[in-house]
Amino acid sequence: MTAVALSRGPARVLRIEIRRSVVLWSVPLLLGLFYFDAFRTAAGLPPVWTVRSSAITTHMIADFGPFAAGLAAWVASREGRRKTGDLLATTVRPAWARQASALGATLFWLLLTFLAGVAALYIDVARQATWGGPPLWPVAVGVVEVATFAVIGFTAGALFPGRFTAPLAAIGTFLLAEIGYHAALGVQPGTSTYALLSPSTAVPLGDDGVFYHVAPDLAIAQVMFMGGITIALLGLLTLAPVFRLSYREFWSGVSRVGRWLCVAGVALLAAGVAASWTAFALTGTARLGVSGWIIPALHDAASDQPVPYTPDCAGTSFKVCVHPAFSAYLDAANMALQPVAAEIAGLPGAPVRAGQVASGNGVRNAQGMRIAGLATAGLSGTPPVYTYTSDNPTAPFWGSPGIADTAFWGAGFQQELLTPFITGSNNTLLEGNVPTPAQQAVVTALTTALSPQAQLSQGFINGQSPGRIAAAAERFASLSPATRHAWLATHLPALRAGTITLDQLP
Amino acid sequence: MNIELSDITRKFSRNVAVDGVTLDAGPGVLGLLGPNGAGKTSLLRMLATILPPSSGQLTLLGRDPRKPADRREIRRRLGYLPQSLGYYPSFTVVEFIEYFALLKEVPPHLVPKAVAAAVEKVDLGPRAKSKLRTLSGGMLRRVGIAQAIVNEPQLALFDEPTAGLDPEQRVAFRALIRDLGQTATVIVSTHLVEDVGAACSEVALMSDGKVVFRGTPQELTARGEAGQGVGDAPLERGYSAILSAARAAS
Repeated sequence: MTAVALSRGPARVLRIEIRRSVVLWSVPLLLGLFYFDAFRTAAGLPPVWTVRSSAITTHMIADFGPFAAGLAAWVASREGRRKTGDLLATTVRPAWARQASALGATLFWLLLTFLAGVAALYIDVARQATWGGPPLWPVAVGVVEVATFAVIGFTAGALFPGRFTAPLAAIGTFLLAEIGYHAALGVQPGTSTYALLSPSTAVPLGDDGVFYHVAPDLAIAQVMFMGGITIALLGLLTLAPVFRLSYREFWSGVSRVGRWLCVAGVALLAAGVAASWTAFALTGTARLGVSGWIIPALHDAASDQPVPYTPDCAGTSFKVCVHPAFSAYLDAANMALQPVAAEIAGLPGAPVRAGQVASGNGVRNAQGMRIAGLATAGLSGTPPVYTYTSDNPTAPFWGSPGIADTAFWGAGFQQELLTPFITGSNNTLLEGNVPTPAQQAVVTALTTALSPQAQLSQGFINGQSPGRIAAAAERFASLSPATRHAWLATHLPALRAGTITLDQLP
Repeated sequence: MNIELSDITRKFSRNVAVDGVTLDAGPGVLGLLGPNGAGKTSLLRMLATILPPSSGQLTLLGRDPRKPADRREIRRRLGYLPQSLGYYPSFTVVEFIEYFALLKEVPPHLVPKAVAAAVEKVDLGPRAKSKLRTLSGGMLRRVGIAQAIVNEPQLALFDEPTAGLDPEQRVAFRALIRDLGQTATVIVSTHLVEDVGAACSEVALMSDGKVVFRGTPQELTARGEAGQGVGDAPLERGYSAILSAARAAS
């Protein structure tokens, strides 16, 4: 047979397998799961490439993985279930080649469906995103992860052919994914390496990949780890006919399977274990940096540099600016902050501009985790500039732009600006300074006056009953804007110094 | 000789399924007869290179099946129909036969023609595009026969090939294996002595793992007329006479 004929034969076997693959029947179910889980979840997130692409690793893998394992186990076990073993044993092509075709067809449909889902997700993001481009590492992690789940199921089906293997493989891999997901939820430095290797760990903060590139280090390690498992299992599948023999038949079994094939199987097994072990060891050295998890041996320092951008701004005397990736929120942010700026204009320390900065921006808590939002939200500089992040606690860009139209969202944003302005503290929560009752009352009063329909929480109660603060706030809010402004112009230094009591408020 | 067996034995734990069989066969149709548990299927599986013998020398198509390269060559020219045909219900008739043709490394450009010829030989043309799950037991048997002959084998092994076939199809199958036996070695393991009488040029009768008779169907008939055989047909009487003698001797 010529080389061309030899290559055409397997291609035609693969074509038959693809045409008759059981996975084809499951495609509508997988697409339905994708739409109702991953796609809709992503649609509720900000239209930022890195943020929405997190649905690939957090939702799509969980949707596809167990099905991939179960379907692959069902395909692999068919020779045992359908009792075609004797018939197939008399054919020329070795078992591994036959299984490769069946696995290839299974992967073809699974990955095609997976990539179709990714394409739908990315097309939707492309229609809404205002900056950046599609990240490819989550896709690579997802593809490798789905392939690994399929190969795990296929190996189980080939080694233990039976009608219960498929559901057991699906349940087993589902639990495996859930354990990884939950481990990843609490991931922090010093946590288990398995948690870092779980693709769910790639869930970014609201603006990861916006101000700084997302370091691909962890994704590389995850691909290496899962790819290693896949390669090792393929080696195991190659050697499976030898393992089924008793020890007395071992050497004759090696001879029957083919010495070179056994060598190839052992080599695959060793290479896979080595790749996974290396990835595991590398992940053990991971630490957090500005661009996410950094693995020193894989890290490119260039990715730590800020990504250049030109902010989108609105307003004239008081400019409200957002990163272009968050342009969808600009109007809402401007609408929320302009009334505050007008209310406090001319007062000492009043900001002249509001600008978005990176979340966390390198600030860590005691456990070494990045502190989202709090670190850089506040007033600073001369003239003062109000800086906020995409995930400020009460005014997050952490949801679809539609939520920015709500009164509560706007009031929260206003309160975020007013609190450091009235207290004179750059960042109240981070510095541990709880506002005095009078400061709380003034912040609440101004916010209520600007957004009367919003129900604000009393977040800083400090030895005073909420009722007294609310009463003082109501009293202050009922004053005319000019009266409030005049009182603040006179008493703001004393209010900031904490010498004004609730009773002294007009 | 296409088949040369010398003192072949196959054991499963303590059970001896095939016990020191020596046999050779060239082109023609050899009927393999014997009661249940005589070792016919085990012998056929060894000839099909599925089972290695526990001891003895086996040469198929002039090659040693213990060597991987030789085994591949033997399988390229081997057709096998097992007693119980496993199949994939979602495959069509043509796809199933094509699948096996490709696994037997029939040159891809010859596969469509070979598949069409095999389908026609077993008279499944009208059902060629039917899914296997929709076929009757007899039709499935014919699909099994088609996959066994799709590579124009030089060694064809059929285990109970006519089970489930209607009389018309059995007659057609006998004609098919007679035709195949012109150039290839065909071994048919069966309980149905009329198949042997109608289609086989030679007969081997197995009992307790041993070949206790080797000859033509006419010689088998003659043994029945001379001995103590029972049965409705002359071949059946020959069959039972030889079995009785073998059991008495052991």
